[in-house]
Amino acid sequence: MTRKMRGKRFTMIDQMEPALKGTEYDLYFGPAHPGSGNFGVKLKIDGEIVVSARADPGYLHRGFEKLMEYRTPIQNAILSDRLCILEPLNWNLVHAEAVDELMGIDIPERAKYIRVIMAELSRIQSHIIWYGVFSIGTGFDTGFKMSFGYRDYILDLFELITGGRVYPAGYICPGGVRRDLPNGARDKILKVLDKMEEMIKLEELENPALGARAKGVGVLKVKDAIRLGATGPVLRGSGMDTDVRKDEPYEIYDRLDFEVPVGKEGDVYARYWIGIEEIKQSIKIVKQALKELPEGEVIASNFKKPKIKFKMPEGEVYVRNEIARGEAAIYMVSDGSGTPYRIKVRGPDFLHMIPVLEYLLKGVQIADVPAIYWSLNICPADMDR
Amino acid sequence: MKLGILPKLLQNLFSKPMTVKFPHESIPIPDGYRGEHKYDIDKCIGCGLCAEICPNRAIEMVEASKEYKDKYPKKYPKIDLGKCCFCALCEDICPKDSISLTKNVFLSTFDSSNVLKYPMPKNREQ
Repeated sequence: MTRKMRGKRFTMIDQMEPALKGTEYDLYFGPAHPGSGNFGVKLKIDGEIVVSARADPGYLHRGFEKLMEYRTPIQNAILSDRLCILEPLNWNLVHAEAVDELMGIDIPERAKYIRVIMAELSRIQSHIIWYGVFSIGTGFDTGFKMSFGYRDYILDLFELITGGRVYPAGYICPGGVRRDLPNGARDKILKVLDKMEEMIKLEELENPALGARAKGVGVLKVKDAIRLGATGPVLRGSGMDTDVRKDEPYEIYDRLDFEVPVGKEGDVYARYWIGIEEIKQSIKIVKQALKELPEGEVIASNFKKPKIKFKMPEGEVYVRNEIARGEAAIYMVSDGSGTPYRIKVRGPDFLHMIPVLEYLLKGVQIADVPAIYWSLNICPADMDR
Repeated sequence: MKLGILPKLLQNLFSKPMTVKFPHESIPIPDGYRGEHKYDIDKCIGCGLCAEICPNRAIEMVEASKEYKDKYPKKYPKIDLGKCCFCALCEDICPKDSISLTKNVFLSTFDSSNVLKYPMPKNREQ
């Protein structure tokens, strides 16, 4: 009789919810996880399976939108570096374009080319970091070290051109760019691009361990991707052909010849390939822009010296750009004084790191969590702002 | 695929590492790097533009110390390197080129008072 009761009790427990039967427990992925960034995910786990995931943001909140209200656009250009640690030049460009459009400034032709060259170099190094952190997330340490080694060649270029390795200090500023390319920069850029092609060859090596970790994991269907607000490489990995550089060209992108890589499956592996293909396209863009680089001024005449008394006309503007992580935008309202009345920063990672990540982590194995997390090309700095 | 690794292995055995042995050799820093400030008080006119443009408010205009007061009657910039973001706006805005950023990047110190750059040496003792 006891055996029978016991048997009955066990079957009942098996049918119970994990929370009631006591096998469910919490697992904190971050914020102190090596490489998760200043961001955490609270996972509810039953055995090996993730029952639910809850993003835990806010560790890197610096209040950019408010800080920018108290500074002139020239000072904000420097602040806009800090929006994303991994690609400051792209955020410089978004901010500079917003001010340019609000003030109606004509940018010199050479400045437009330099802006695109710098933005694309920034995209390449950001994608290389993506490959590196994805490698370390899936246990491939060589990839991590390799990618950070190759990324330093681009940082050397930034050091030469902007004067800082990581933070360019508003190199792309309202009105153009702060300095012209130094002598010999063109040859050095071409030399670094050759190194990047070398890096791509290493990335493309078929790695069976990576295939096992990435294929068929974290599938995001295109319908869900749109519903959850994914943009950029994540949406393209799911199979939608979209790119702000093509859909709504800014600067000189309408004159350049490049393709938008689109994946099909929407899994981790598809997103990983999008990253590699985009580096190839960026190299193509930089080579074209360097070939057609015209001579002339690099900054509009009334921006040559920074000014303390800054006048912005009344109005509002919304500028969107394609950065490495997706679609970045700045909404700026001016009330006619020197400082913006309101700035809203739309970072691509807010939606990638909260709704998309929570959706993808539901029902996967614990071992797949880092692979999915890193495949989204995330940056906590840009999400928390 | 099976032999694919072998050429790479041999190549790596005889190639140089990507890094340099830092204290003994270092990657040269290019001109135009944004490092520690160089300040020339004799060129300075004390206009205070650098203090106003500074996005981090790292520059404060202070009076010269007693010994120098007769020679330098105006207010001069005191730079707090701990607050500085090395954006070089002060260099760009200076009408007399008295502030410029140098290539010196070795700024770490054990003494927190070293991060303050006074316009003249005697100011510190005041």
